[in-house]
Formats: sequence, C-alpha cells, structure tokens
Amino acid sequence: MEYEVVIGLEVHVELLTESKLFCSCPNRFASEPNVNTCPGCLGFPGVLPQLNEAAVKKALSAALALQCEIALFSYFDRKNYFYPDLSKGYQISQFHVPIGSKGYLDIEDDRGVSKRVRIGRVHMEEDAGKLIHGPAGDVSLVDYNRAGVPLIEVVTEPDLRSPGEARRYLEKLKGILQYARVSDCKMEEGSLRCDANISLRPLGSKTLGSKTELKNMNSFKAVEKSLEYEIKRQKKILNNNQEVVSQTLRWEENSQKTLVMRGKLQAHDYRCFVDPELTPIELTAAEVEAARKVLPEMAEARALRFVTTFDLPGYDAALLTVSRSLADYFEDCLQYYNNPKKISNWIMGELTAKLNTAGIEADCCKFKPQYMAELLQLLDDDLISGHLAKEILDQSFLNGKSPRQIMDEENLTQITDQSALEAIIRRTIEAHPDSVEKYRDGKTKVLGFLVGQVMKETTGKANPKLVNEMLIEMLGN
Amino acid sequence: MDFTTMSAGRLADAVNKGELEARDTVEKILGKIEAVNSKLNIFSSMAGENALEQAAAIDNKIKNGICLPLAGVPLVIKDDLIYKALPTSFGSQLFKAFIAPFSATVVEKMAAAGAVIIGKTNIDNMGIGSTTLNSPLGPTLNPCDTARVAGSAGAAALKSDICSLALESDSGGASRHGASNCGVFGLLPSAGMVSRHGLSMHCGSFGRVGIAARFMEDLPVAFKIISGYDSRDTATAAFNNQNKSREKDDNISALTIGFPEAVFNLLDQTHLNIFLKLIEKIKEAGLKVTEVDLNHLPEAVRAYQVIASAEASSTLSRFDGIRFGAAVEADELEELYCKTRRATFGIETIRRSVFGTYLLSKGGHDRYYRKALQVWKMVREEFRRGYEKCDLLLMPAVGMLPPLAEDRLSFIDLYENDLFTAPVSMGGNPVLTLPAGNIEGLPVGVQLVAPYMNDQFLLSTALRLDPLMATNHQVFSEGGK
Repeated sequence: MEYEVVIGLEVHVELLTESKLFCSCPNRFASEPNVNTCPGCLGFPGVLPQLNEAAVKKALSAALALQCEIALFSYFDRKNYFYPDLSKGYQISQFHVPIGSKGYLDIEDDRGVSKRVRIGRVHMEEDAGKLIHGPAGDVSLVDYNRAGVPLIEVVTEPDLRSPGEARRYLEKLKGILQYARVSDCKMEEGSLRCDANISLRPLGSKTLGSKTELKNMNSFKAVEKSLEYEIKRQKKILNNNQEVVSQTLRWEENSQKTLVMRGKLQAHDYRCFVDPELTPIELTAAEVEAARKVLPEMAEARALRFVTTFDLPGYDAALLTVSRSLADYFEDCLQYYNNPKKISNWIMGELTAKLNTAGIEADCCKFKPQYMAELLQLLDDDLISGHLAKEILDQSFLNGKSPRQIMDEENLTQITDQSALEAIIRRTIEAHPDSVEKYRDGKTKVLGFLVGQVMKETTGKANPKLVNEMLIEMLGN
Repeated sequence: MDFTTMSAGRLADAVNKGELEARDTVEKILGKIEAVNSKLNIFSSMAGENALEQAAAIDNKIKNGICLPLAGVPLVIKDDLIYKALPTSFGSQLFKAFIAPFSATVVEKMAAAGAVIIGKTNIDNMGIGSTTLNSPLGPTLNPCDTARVAGSAGAAALKSDICSLALESDSGGASRHGASNCGVFGLLPSAGMVSRHGLSMHCGSFGRVGIAARFMEDLPVAFKIISGYDSRDTATAAFNNQNKSREKDDNISALTIGFPEAVFNLLDQTHLNIFLKLIEKIKEAGLKVTEVDLNHLPEAVRAYQVIASAEASSTLSRFDGIRFGAAVEADELEELYCKTRRATFGIETIRRSVFGTYLLSKGGHDRYYRKALQVWKMVREEFRRGYEKCDLLLMPAVGMLPPLAEDRLSFIDLYENDLFTAPVSMGGNPVLTLPAGNIEGLPVGVQLVAPYMNDQFLLSTALRLDPLMATNHQVFSEGGK
C-alpha cells in the first residue's frame, strides 16, 4: 500500500540572553559543573522567580519572525514531575497561553515547490540541568549550570511530509532564529534540540495514524536519518496489518536505530497549573509593533538589498545571506574595503570552503573582516600576487595574524624589482630553447608556460604581470 | 528601665538616647528565656550569645552617633523565614541544622533597623497549619492557658515578654490565630506590600509576611520598615502602585464599619457576644456600623484548602534530598525521594501533597481545582462589593477556643477553624488582628480588614479605634508617634 508520511517537529531553542530566565545567573556554557548557579536555580525554598525581561523580548522576536499572532496577555504554568535535573520538582513553562501562536514558515517540498508549514505555538520555558553518569554506572551527578536557561519551544502542525522537508524546515528555522538574534542555534552544543512526531496513513486518508515520538537526534542529518528509519519501521508494521504502538523512541546514533524509551502507559500527567509565584506577562500592542519594527532583516530581504545596493549578482547575494554571520561578515568587510564583488568572490571562493571544513560560523573566524580588506588592498597595491594572497589567507585563518604581518614575517612580498627578475627570466629563457623557438614562430600561447616557470623559480613571489611584460620584451630582442 | 513595659518605639528611643543599652535588654531576656521556653516550647533555635553580639554591635553604633528606628528591640522570627546566622528548620526534623546561604529581605531590613534577633520560633511542618500541632517539636503552648495551644509561637513569645516584635507568616490565618489566642496585635499587610524573598511558602497565592507586637503603636513603625519594593519578589511591584490608598480620616465618626451578617449563623454564643459587644462600643464611639453580605465564608475556606493543597503538592516538590539540607541514604533514586520526603514532612504535609496531587491531576483539576479558583474570584468580588457599603470590615478572627494541646481534633476541624481568616487571605487585603475580649481567661481577637493596599488607612484608623476596643490589655496608643 502507498502511505503518506505525516511529521510534526518540536524544536527547543536556547535564547541568547546574558542571564537565566528567572535568576541573574549567567546564561553561559561552563565546563566546571554548577558554577553558574544560585539558590534560585537550585530550587532552594524561599526564593521566588524573577522573570528576565530580555528573554521575553527574544521570545517575542522569535514569535514575530515566525509570523505568529502574539498573546498580549500570557503567563507561566508549572509542569510537575520529579527528576534530579529538575531543581524545583516542576518546570516553569507556558502551557495554557503561549506568547506566540498560529505562525508559519515557507519551505520547498521534495519537488522544489514552495509550501507553507504552520507553526502551532511558540512558548517560553526554562531548561533543566544535566545528569552525568559515572563510568562504572554506580554514581549519577547533576550539573545545574543549564537549569533555568531560557528556551523557546517551536511546535509545528503535522504539515511535513518527508524527512527532507523536515530537514529543510529545520535549516530555515535555524536561519530565521539566527537572523532574529534569538539564538545561535548550535545543535552540536545543544542550543537547538529537536523532537519529531511521525505517523503514516494510507494515501488519501484524512485521519492521522498512531504516531511515535523520536528523541535524541543531535544533528539535522540525524533527524532526517531517524525519520527515514522510522518510516521503514512503521511501513513494515502496517504492511503486516499490525498497529503502530504509540510510544517515545530514542535515536541511537551508533547503531542508526530507534529504541523504545517509554510507552504510552508511562506517559506523565504533568498537573499543569498557573505558577502562583509569577505575575502575568502583559504586552501592549504598541510594544509588539515596536518589536516588529526593530526585527532584524531576514535572509530574503537582505539578499535583495545586496543585489540592489551593492550590484551583486543574485547568486552571490543568495549564498552570502545563507547565514546571518556570513552576511554580517560581508558587510563588515565593506566598511574597510569598497569593492563588493571582489569581497564576494573571495568569500565564496576561499573563505566559505575553509569555514565549512573547520565547521565554524563566520563570526568565530580568526580571519577577520578587516583582514579580508587588508588582503584585498595588498593585492590592489601589487604587493602580493593572488597566489600569495591565498597562502596568506590560509595562515591568517589558522593563526589570526594580520595579512600584512604574515607578509612581512614570512617574506611573502611580491618581487617587483626588475633587475632581480631579469636574471631569473634570462635563466628561464636559456633553459627552455624549444619554447622560445615556438614563441618566436608565433605560438604565443607558450608564454603562459614560461611565466609559470618564472613563478615557480620565485616560489610564486614574482609579480606575474611584470614577469609577463618583461618576458615579451626580452623574447622580442 | 524595663523593656516589658515599653513599646518597641519607646525602647528604641531610650537606646538611641543612651538611656538604655541594647545589651541590658538582651541580658534580661536571656535570663528568663530558658524557663519560658521549657514551659511553652516557643523556639526551634535560640540565638543566645549571638544575640548579645548583635546587641553589642548596636550599642557600638549608637555610641558612634548612629540612630536606628528599632535600636535594641528584641525580635523573634518564625522558622519559615530564612536567617543565615541561625538554622532554618521549616518545621522539619530533617532540617533542624539547615543553614541557608542567604537571609530573608524582611529579616535583613529588621536587623538593619537595629532589631536584635533572639531566636527562631516553632512552626507547623512546612508552615502548614494554624496551631503548631503539626510541628515535630510539638505545639507551642498558650501563655494564658498552657493546656491550650498558642497558635503562633511568635505571639506566645510576645505575651511572655521575651521580645517586642515578632516576624510572622500567614497563608490561611496562622499569625492571626496566634495574635487572637494570645491577645497581642498583628498586622498582615496587603499582598505585595512586603517582600517574601526568604520566606519558604507552601502556597504562593496566599503566603504573606506579617508582624506582631505587644502594642498597637509599634505596628506602623514596623510596617514602614518591612514594606517596600524588592526585585526578588515581583509581587512587590504592587507597592509602587499604591496611589489608591487613603491616608487617614480626621473625622473618625464619619467612618462606617461593616461586619458580615453571616456571623450570626457562624459564631457560637460566647464568641458572638464578644463580637457584638465590640460592635456596640464602636457605635457608642459615634461610628456608623452596617452589615455586609459575605455569604460564602464556608465555601471560601474550602476553596482556600483546595488551592493551598494543590500549590503545596507542587511547591514542596523541591524537598527531594538532592540539592540542599539533609537526605536519607538510599540505594535507588526512587527510594531516596520516598525516604527523604517522609523524613522531611509530617503527616499533614503528606496529606496535602497527596490531596493536592490529585486535585491537579486529570481527575481532580476540572472537578475541584478550577471550581476553587472560581470561588476565589467570587470571594474577592464579595469583598469588593462589601467595601461599597463601608470603609473597614470587622470580622471575627476565630470561632472557637484555641485547641487543647492534647486534643486530637480531626484535620477537617482544623481546616474549618480558618473560616474567618482564610477568606481574608484570598482577598489579599491588609488586616489587623486586635484583642477584643476574653473567654475563660483566654483572649479572643477580631480582624479589622481594609480594602486592598489601604494599609496606611487601616493603621491610622486602628490607632484611634484601639482605645475603644481595649478590654484586657494596657493601652499605650496615646503616646504613639
């Protein structure tokens, strides 16, 4: 039988704030356990939650960037359950009234056609701590550095129809939240986490089949893989005329399989109720409009601006705006060097490859925008060749030194001294009589070979333009 | 000079003027505190030498020309308010040696004002109850009749002349029962007037910090010190919005005092007589008196119980033995939770946790919890309408004598004993508990309740009403500052 795949995603994103959601502890990664804690986020009796206004603003930006309707009046609920990483015995979350609802985001389906994915809700909540189990399995320790870190949960309607759509949705969501400066969305560091609900139904059916929930995927690729695995598993069950058991499954990255985490009978009754220790969040329509106005420019708008203002080809603009940090990098370069197309070429040609290999974002790159400008200026001033420029970029990318410093220290200056070049060119001409003869017979193509030989002799330091001119002149004699 | 004959204000005056040393007062108290405590069971921990050190530090400040509003005033603190220099037990055997790493805002404010902290007073386990019968240390006995409970150990300490002020807490009526049972004055300021940072609450909706004193005139002074905005309790944002508060009315006879018509049905004859006698006195003083409709007091106290239990089941979840305090050793996590929580909590706390868990779960939420919230809303509305007919409400504080220490009253009887106090908690109104008379030598108090945020009006009016109401206590109000 033919089946239709129905997928909904629940994405948790850590907000980029200075402090935690209900106390003033730093919202920062720390390798030392429990350093970013206080009696508040440790759940001591006698400490009341104090709502972090900056977190509300970030959540509002996220909801607006995802085209949500904003609740002017919302509040926090308690979700009650016992677990050692949950310091109060309950998680403070927006259960009844989320700050944002009924939003959407557009992606391409598997045929490349644009489709709209509805976002049911965007709500705020606090993160829990982390359990660390001893190697022998005899001891469990808790690190509360993450307890109380502000999160938003973005929940889609069951609108996704394939693992590919799910991946594209996540990529798009990540881009938007990064652009809105809501989160850095680094899945490998846990600042973006994704759970997936998936069910199958006979093609054409309107009712939803029983679903499973997938957890523990630590990359977009893992989300896609786990969904592919789960589709196969559910298909097999349905084809055997059996029923899919509604349960929570855990993705095992090593074996590339899903395993049962807990069944439906073990499902929690979280006993949600309004947290009596927090006052409601009241926003005015004017505040929401103000937040909408200062919402940072999103990828599409920025690409369009790059085309119209900087006269860049659409292709360049699209590539440069894929991530906010790369687009920022490009614009930062422009502050120091005024040739957009040249910058674009170097970013797309050299830099992005390096960033991808290193697996870092442009904002973490040691080769700063000033250095890119400096490098291009050295090229313009004929102090280095393109070949040398690439070598300097390689080094700067690794050691963070300025291109000029590298050029000086490594003696990578271009040889523009005619007398120094003349001897080398003469030697080259003498060493390749055949080529010289061909050239004189009118086969001028061979000139390139000779220039190359000179460049090789000078380990790439000769000014190729000058070598070219001098060769023509000397061969003419 | 003996502090027991002086209001806290006068004592502070004497200390500030150098007529009396803070140390003298503390020494006198320490001289009799053991005897009083062994008779009444007031303290969960005593400051002892530390109180003398505090007093010496204050004397030193006075010598250096510093003036403090509560210089040398002896203070006791209920044991759900955190004070980092003494253990905070929350009324739990397992927490008897627990030292928290911070102090409650109100404790810091009182200490900064020159008060000397004498000790932490006995409380019901987790602050749940209005009798101290739920304390692992046993109940605090009533100084007026040691066969009966005091209701609040702070009130017992005041009545026993071993302090001038007591910091209290109150969700359903504990501090008001105590003031009523012991014949002292208690103020529970409007919700949001006083920071609850450092108060361990089982119920955030109704939990409040209160203050009790031996003299009415000390309450405005203490109120000024403990009230105010505190970023650590966001509910105190209300403090900055109290523009609606009436300051005072010079013409006291222009005021109308309302009282619930329901008292005729809800009070026994002896309690009703005391209440009606007081109403007569008020009329004689020229004030107008009117009956108001507060027809849902029984429903209110039951709704209070539902909400308080629901919240306790959630708020007390943090007592899991993982992060603070002592834990009972166990091999498995589940076992650790069970053993630790069983050792931390008394039977009443366990009862409310179980009850509250049910009330919030799928079966109980819509049937009881949501209904209770509706009753809460209705009660607030009844109070609001009541104040359309009067300026202040006069209500009984209790409907029965304080329980006998050996009594085995059912928990339901104890819940119902909050009949007049819990509804006031639900309104968030400022309320004074004042002595009104006595039955068989036991004091009985009344509640004077003002509209929300009208704390100043309540205090200034009560200062002038107090001489009229005085029955079995000395009156110092004419000397008030």
